[in-house]
Amino acid sequence: MGKPATHSRDYIFTPAIRIFHWLRALAILVLVITGFYISWPFLVAPETNDTQVQSILRFAHLVFGFVLTAITFVRFYLFFFSRNDIERRSFRDVMSINSWIKNLKSYLWMGQLHKQGVYGPLQFMTYVAVSFMALIICITGLVLYANVYHLGMGGMMWDISGWITAQMGGLAWVRIIHHYLTWAFCIFVVIHVYMAVWCGIRFKHNSVDSIVSGYDYHKADH
Amino acid sequence: MDTHAALYEQGKARLEALRELSPRHTESLKQKMEQHGITRRDFMKWSAAVTSMLALPLPFSTLVAEAAELSDRVPLIWLHMAECTGCSESLIRTDTPNLDSLIFDHISLEYHETLMAAAGWQAEENLEHALEQYKGNYLLAVEGAVPTANNGAFLTVGCKGHTGLEIMHHAAEGAAGIISVGTCAAFGGVQAAAPNPTGAVGVAEVVHKPVVNLGGCPPSEKNIVGTLMYFIMFGKLPALDMFNRPKWAYGARVHDNCERRGRFDAGEFVEEFGDFGAKEGYCLYKVGCKGPYTYNNCPTERFNHHTSWPVLAGHGCIGCSEPSFWDDMADFERPLGRQLLYGFDATADAVGAVILGAAAVGVGAHAVVSVFAKPLED
Ligand code: HEM
Ligand code: SF4
Repeated sequence: MGKPATHSRDYIFTPAIRIFHWLRALAILVLVITGFYISWPFLVAPETNDTQVQSILRFAHLVFGFVLTAITFVRFYLFFFSRNDIERRSFRDVMSINSWIKNLKSYLWMGQLHKQGVYGPLQFMTYVAVSFMALIICITGLVLYANVYHLGMGGMMWDISGWITAQMGGLAWVRIIHHYLTWAFCIFVVIHVYMAVWCGIRFKHNSVDSIVSGYDYHKADH
Repeated sequence: MDTHAALYEQGKARLEALRELSPRHTESLKQKMEQHGITRRDFMKWSAAVTSMLALPLPFSTLVAEAAELSDRVPLIWLHMAECTGCSESLIRTDTPNLDSLIFDHISLEYHETLMAAAGWQAEENLEHALEQYKGNYLLAVEGAVPTANNGAFLTVGCKGHTGLEIMHHAAEGAAGIISVGTCAAFGGVQAAAPNPTGAVGVAEVVHKPVVNLGGCPPSEKNIVGTLMYFIMFGKLPALDMFNRPKWAYGARVHDNCERRGRFDAGEFVEEFGDFGAKEGYCLYKVGCKGPYTYNNCPTERFNHHTSWPVLAGHGCIGCSEPSFWDDMADFERPLGRQLLYGFDATADAVGAVILGAAAVGVGAHAVVSVFAKPLED
């Protein structure tokens, strides 16, 4: 027989969570790039205006915008109604001051990170904030979209878009919020990737692996 | 009855009632047009154009024509608050009197500080008289924002030293309809720009009545006269958008009907004023055009007898008809993504850069400490 296994493995993320995570990552990447392009169109016009440079980039932005909107919608649903409660369990940590203190200390190199669900309380709240950011950037995006295309879905959203525009103080503000949230996403991605890798190294749990394969491999005693 | 047929009947009944009232002028509009060499044919063309601008079916053009003729039956009081008179100028400063300015002349204008002959005590008396005599019937047009700080003391008008705020409250009371002419009256405009020491606000914020907002610095003569015609014709205010602007004028963005839109879609942009693209009529987005966030009909109606409008003249739209004008539309010659160290957006962009930098530094420091921190096992 082979050697006894040195590591045990836990099933962490369902396929749905993993697929949506990477789809969302792709959508955000494309949206940030095309969004900054829309904000400052840096490509020089081709010889002929048969090539609709701006339109093509806006097309990509819109298609991935709809992808992100759909994912944001599905993820909100899954968070509450998924049969797997690995995400919802973290809520208990969020309500416990003790968990918060443990969490913050562990990030300051003091002690282990114990948690009930898959996320620490700070991490959980960050994701809640990011989910709402996604919601708002999707809403502002759809309001802008209703102004870009007046038929089909754009047309159906026209009245509600007008109402939202008024609440936000005009279309300029819709755009400003959309633009600033783009920066918020950039900042989030930097911290998010760093923390995922750092936690893997510090706590010897594979957070990066688990969002790919679904499994967390770690020494049996942790 | 479908809605248009009902509206038509409503307009006809209203105009018949107006015809019963005594005209203010001894000369009819027809005589005035003859004096100025404007033919009946011109007048019919004008009526048809106004009808289509108001998004009404063509049969309404007879109503528009009638409303123009009867416009001397509806008393109009025009007040000036904190403003520059540019909106009145937009209406009256045409090279030859065209129908728009002629009708403004013909309309039963009871009080207008720029245009009246009276001054001082006499002017004050005229205003009081008009407010009293036409109580409940007059149309009130307001130009300019209303300063509210220090109880409105930043604006006093006339020999009795009433504040703009007092005059507004008083005049709004007996008005059959209120039109805010221009962005200042509608949303505060330049007067309300940060830090807004005078507490200037739009008219709608100090009166408790529906107000039609005609954004624009200035609004085109077409949008002013069109709104007046609508009120004369139907005795009510037109369908309004989310900021109480008439839908027929502010239903689409400048960007939607801009003649440079093809250039935008193709990615052909003016990089700096005077370059090759500028001469070729490329899109002005990269030199700060705010057409994508601005609702107005400038590209289709233009200004000064349909002569031109800012984008046709080669400068981007500055978003002057929007509630967020002036602060949020700055910087006028840069788009949102290129406003570093300028104004409102710029400051936030700079803040964004600082936060991102701080995040990177924090992450770096944390990583370095992690390398030296004791492993957990020990
Ligand atoms: C992470 C998500 C997203 C990011 C980072 C993002 C980023 C951006 C940026 C930076 C701009 C340019 C704003 C400016 O400076 O003027 C923009 C414009 C726009 N975005 Fe997004 N966006 C996102 C999601 C969406 C979604 C979900 C939609 C909805 C379908 C959408 C639709 C639009 C539209 C319609 C415009 C304006 C395009 C135009 O005026 O031609 N975006 N976006
Ligand atoms: S010039 Fe302004 S309004 Fe016209 S297409 Fe370009 S961005 Fe739009």
